Amino acid sequence: MKLTWAQGRIASAGNLGASCWIYNPYLLLAFRLFLAAIFIYAAVQKIGKPLAFADEIHSYSVVDYGAPLYTMAVVLPWLELLCGLSLVTGVFVRGSSLILLALNAMFLFVIAKRTVGAVHGGTPLSKVYFDCGCGFGATYAWKKLLEDAAYLVIAMVLLFAPNHRFTLSRSRRLS
Amino acid sequence: MKMLISAISQAILLLAAALVVGFGFNALSRNGINPFKMPVRVPVAADSLSAETGGIKVIDIAAAKRLVDSGGCIIDARRKADYDEGHIPGSILLDYYDMGNYLDQVLPLLSKEQEIMIYCSEPSCDDSELLARQLYSLGFKKLLLFKGGFAEWSGAGLPVEKDAQ
Repeated sequence: MKLTWAQGRIASAGNLGASCWIYNPYLLLAFRLFLAAIFIYAAVQKIGKPLAFADEIHSYSVVDYGAPLYTMAVVLPWLELLCGLSLVTGVFVRGSSLILLALNAMFLFVIAKRTVGAVHGGTPLSKVYFDCGCGFGATYAWKKLLEDAAYLVIAMVLLFAPNHRFTLSRSRRLS
Repeated sequence: MKMLISAISQAILLLAAALVVGFGFNALSRNGINPFKMPVRVPVAADSLSAETGGIKVIDIAAAKRLVDSGGCIIDARRKADYDEGHIPGSILLDYYDMGNYLDQVLPLLSKEQEIMIYCSEPSCDDSELLARQLYSLGFKKLLLFKGGFAEWSGAGLPVEKDAQ
């Protein structure tokens, strides 16, 4: 079958991607366990404290007090925990990676928004310091932004990895 | 494409599981809430650093010192480890992130008629503000927020207590 130029480019890019060092099975396992540890720890800090977590979410001034905010406070820690367990077991890795990708994109957005607000308020970027409500206590905003960007990249790698080994799932490609 | 569809369907299943487990646990937890029937909370404006809002008054270090010197009620909203390392003399620990374990011991020590000063680690930390909101919703209306926090207090060379609570 003759491929068009565009199809050929996509196919070669895909092949190159699949053999890329970043998709080394041991590295992927390390990424999975690292991300799982982060999110399981973060979840455990917030589970059972919905009011405190609702206040943390509210402090970002993105969602006002109401049923959607409280629902997030109740469900989000469990979603993080389930995604963490999914990464450890290798069951539904792509689904959990997709969720963590979306969550980290959201965290980056709200932390960046709050940081910009603080900088506009006169605090130098290097001094912006707050508790992001992530479960790890107060830290410098620039540090948190870098961390979340790294988690986002790792989630993206896990999502697009051609297959995952060391899983309890039967299908490597779909795990 | 198949991979993406699989990822989306797995994500939906995980989300559904989180909803079921989250609400199930919330219904059984002693700290559980009804997200659809929550009381109106106290809004504290983001610019509350310089103004009195929602009944919560922001005070500076001089006012904080006067209150400490007069033996007023002071609450430390930081974590226990930070409190143990050093705190404003006479302050009571009420770890905002572990309120469930502290409220029963701390609430009997507080009076709704008395001014209560709350602080956390430093000006950009907002745990004291979040805790103040919780106390306000519990009926404590005379709240003073020392935004400078422990960093400003200790940085000014004022006395620090180091004994654990």
